[in-house]
Amino acid sequence: MALETGHFLRTAILFTKRWEESMPFTLGDLLAGMLVGVLTALGVRVAVWPGMDMVLAMLLGSAIGMVIHFVLGLILAPLLGMFETMIPASMIGMYGGMFFGMRDSMAAGSRTTRAAALVGVVLGLVVVLALKLYDRILRGTVVDAGN
Amino acid sequence: MDIKTQRKWDAASRTFDLFTFADDRRLGPHKRRLFTKVKGAILVVAAGTGNDFKFFPPGQEIVAIDISPEMLQRAAKKARLYPGNIELRQMDVSELEFSDHSFDTVATVCTFCSVPRPIVGLRELYRVLKPGGQILMFEHVRSNIGPFGILLDLMTPLSRLVGPDLNRNTVANVQKAGFRLRREENVYLDIIKIIEAVKPSSATKADSELP
Repeated sequence: MALETGHFLRTAILFTKRWEESMPFTLGDLLAGMLVGVLTALGVRVAVWPGMDMVLAMLLGSAIGMVIHFVLGLILAPLLGMFETMIPASMIGMYGGMFFGMRDSMAAGSRTTRAAALVGVVLGLVVVLALKLYDRILRGTVVDAGN
Repeated sequence: MDIKTQRKWDAASRTFDLFTFADDRRLGPHKRRLFTKVKGAILVVAAGTGNDFKFFPPGQEIVAIDISPEMLQRAAKKARLYPGNIELRQMDVSELEFSDHSFDTVATVCTFCSVPRPIVGLRELYRVLKPGGQILMFEHVRSNIGPFGILLDLMTPLSRLVGPDLNRNTVANVQKAGFRLRREENVYLDIIKIIEAVKPSSATKADSELP
């Protein structure tokens, strides 16, 4: 019983320590995702007008998102890690920019700038969380041929 | 010596350590876990500014090479702090000056994203490893997942100007160079990986048959 309690306590302490170490990065990842989402949504809102050719709007939106992701990625990578910043940011920038371009060329929702920004936040948050979940699924040994 | 590559990494050495704060904390434990497996004579390839020396177990005899003299200049201070022995040498991994079968372990960290001819470099490492020797790699590679892979392909022409390629298939390259894959682990998505491979014990005779 004492052994089991000791093991439980050690595991709990280890878990808490790991959580404390990773928490600032997790929060940083979420904030970075939201920031890229907002800036991409606003950047696309400025450049794309209702009635614009949808294909061109999607290409333009994607390009704007890529530029924003690249600049923010360079700024945030030293704080959050190169790949942990770059991969979510590029997903939000490139694919999110494409979606925003499509939406804004059709004037399909988010009529105010604030609403567009809010959708940017939501997209950023969802992409970061989805990537974290996917990372959990993929992480670990792929091949182990032993010695 | 590949002068173009050398100049690129000389230039990168000035900002290289800016990116180590977060990567050390997030990826450092994985590197430390990988490098507990080092044994015998150790070759560290593309040591950079020596930021990864601290992840090696203490008391090892290490030879660390890099193509960039400016990287090595910065690495010298960190080599002195390592509680073991690290000899720094300027060398191109594609033209190693070591004789055959010199090392028991080769260690790389984000190296084969940057070597212009990766299979040539890996073949050189194969040559200098003793039969039965191991290569321990911490590398980022091209994702096999469609949307991530496309992103990495699109970003590579830009990233290549200042640093590494983002779309290398290093696991396949290791096998093409003649190594036998022992272990592959995903560290972040399927992009950052631990790759462990060995040079078969019977490799001496088979060396000439490899590409």
